[in-house]
Amino acid sequence: MSHLRCESVTVRFGGVVACNNINLEIPEGKIVGLIGPNGAGKTTLFNVLNRFQEYDSGHIYYREQIVDNKKPHEMVALGMARTFQNVNLFSEQSTLDNILIGAHLQLGNPFANMFSLPGARRNEAVLVDKAVAIADMLHLSEELDNPVKNLSYGYRKRVELARALAAEPEMILLDEPVAGCNEDTTRELEDIVRHINRKLGVTIIVVEHDMSMVMNVCDLIYVINFGANLADGTPAEVRANPDVIAAYLGEETQ
Amino acid sequence: MGEITASAAAARPKRDKRAVTALKARFVRHNWTLVALLFVGLLIFPALPFVEGWMVYQGSLVIVYIMAAQGVGILTGYTGLVTVGHGGFLAIGAYTAALLMKFTGLSLIPGMIAGGVMAALFGMLLGLVFLRLAGAFMAIGTLGFAFFIGSIVNNVPIFEGRTGISLPANTVFGLEIDDFGFYYVALVTLALITLFIHSLMRSGVGRAFKALRDSDKPAESSGVNRVFYRTLAFSISAFITGVAGAFNGLIVNYVSAEVYADIWYSVDLLVAAVVGGSAMLFGPFLGGFFVAMVPFFLDELADFAFILKGVVLIAVLVLAPAGIAGVVARPFRARRRRLLDETRGPAQTVEAEGVQS
Repeated sequence: MSHLRCESVTVRFGGVVACNNINLEIPEGKIVGLIGPNGAGKTTLFNVLNRFQEYDSGHIYYREQIVDNKKPHEMVALGMARTFQNVNLFSEQSTLDNILIGAHLQLGNPFANMFSLPGARRNEAVLVDKAVAIADMLHLSEELDNPVKNLSYGYRKRVELARALAAEPEMILLDEPVAGCNEDTTRELEDIVRHINRKLGVTIIVVEHDMSMVMNVCDLIYVINFGANLADGTPAEVRANPDVIAAYLGEETQ
Repeated sequence: MGEITASAAAARPKRDKRAVTALKARFVRHNWTLVALLFVGLLIFPALPFVEGWMVYQGSLVIVYIMAAQGVGILTGYTGLVTVGHGGFLAIGAYTAALLMKFTGLSLIPGMIAGGVMAALFGMLLGLVFLRLAGAFMAIGTLGFAFFIGSIVNNVPIFEGRTGISLPANTVFGLEIDDFGFYYVALVTLALITLFIHSLMRSGVGRAFKALRDSDKPAESSGVNRVFYRTLAFSISAFITGVAGAFNGLIVNYVSAEVYADIWYSVDLLVAAVVGGSAMLFGPFLGGFFVAMVPFFLDELADFAFILKGVVLIAVLVLAPAGIAGVVARPFRARRRRLLDETRGPAQTVEAEGVQS
């Protein structure tokens, strides 16, 4: 059974067709890459998947359940978390608070919560413990009390990932997780992504321009060009596909 | 989890977790001490030897303004929705309490709860209607709401327009109360509301409000139901201001469109919230005091009150966007930051990580 399935999804912005009959099939427990030239419609597709973006036709199935009319917060309830291309955090708030927002759906009754009733306090303590554990895993524990605006770019990327993990998701959408990161940070994030996938059993969809990262971590790759499916397959297959080379990867120079 | 290699993270030395916790606890206590001191001041104020009856009345007005500003602060400070229409909720609270008192004989405390509940219902509706508004559009929309309420109380017969509704003396549990009694009822209510706001803003619900304020998208993609939490913020905010409105009417035993149809009331409340600093617990205390006392201090020049408020508002917006409370808290925060950083000790290497964006 596929974890997530897109069936001929089309998105139009006026006369521009951002996604044209896109089909995706994301198998359970895999890391799937989504690549393509700038403007190919990758981020639009992400916004479609987590339901920020309406689409004109087609269907999306999450575990074979139609989710066409779901809202973004309902997708989180189903088990989908995401990160953003340009790191979208609550910059004045501390790392801990940023991670805790990710655990929003584990709050329980908001009315018991806002009066800090004993049950809500106990629950809050549990959530804080979980958040601290996630921060430990991503090497953020030294920054828990630090407002994220003080953190470097690489750290902020990890805070965003931590926030996504705090939702205890079954699927994470990563929008350019290593954009702007140097070689070391990229390798480190690769390890983290692999760890989340293998140890926590989370299905991951990743949009990324860093081909080394994509080829290193992905089990399966979808290539998109001009808003349409161009090719899909294992990294080796995609790398050898002449269409992909022509449209995106370019010839190897040796 | 050892297989994750973190070369950059290792560059920062580890710190003593207990020291950090102790330090944080100390600063939480600092915050509380400040608010507690304010309350002790308010508590003993009427008993001070030089205080006369009218000062106690003035004190009640200050409390009412603080409360109303707290209501505004829930939206403007914590949820990031600028409202220029809370005079409308003040009016709803005042008229609900007044009409109930006139027609059913309800007394101060149930009247004020009813005022709050009615305002909260309107707040919920308004929150739903203004769901897609933000920034200046939200300000204009809420302003429109205040005009709407003003026009209703001016023209619908039951509200008796500018003639106003006169009310009997206030009673609590069947006993008639004077200015002192009224002052303490208001003070206890203020204490309860302050405790509630403190609890709210430290809870996950408060976290969701702040998340929506800072950035919609990541909040929603973390599971925050924007419709629900925005509407909830509106309702809570309106409730608190509605309670303040009930006090505001009952303190003079009289409500009239002359007062409540006045759009400047709404502006006053926004000034109180912004000048004091609406995203902090003690901000509305400073702002409420300021707005309630300005005409009093200006004495014969009271007509110029709006000029002074305007100048102060502009000065605060330019020099201290977090309000006077933000200025007061700045050295405390800086000290806290410094001490927290010291628990880490000096960094051994300059972080060789990422690109600063």
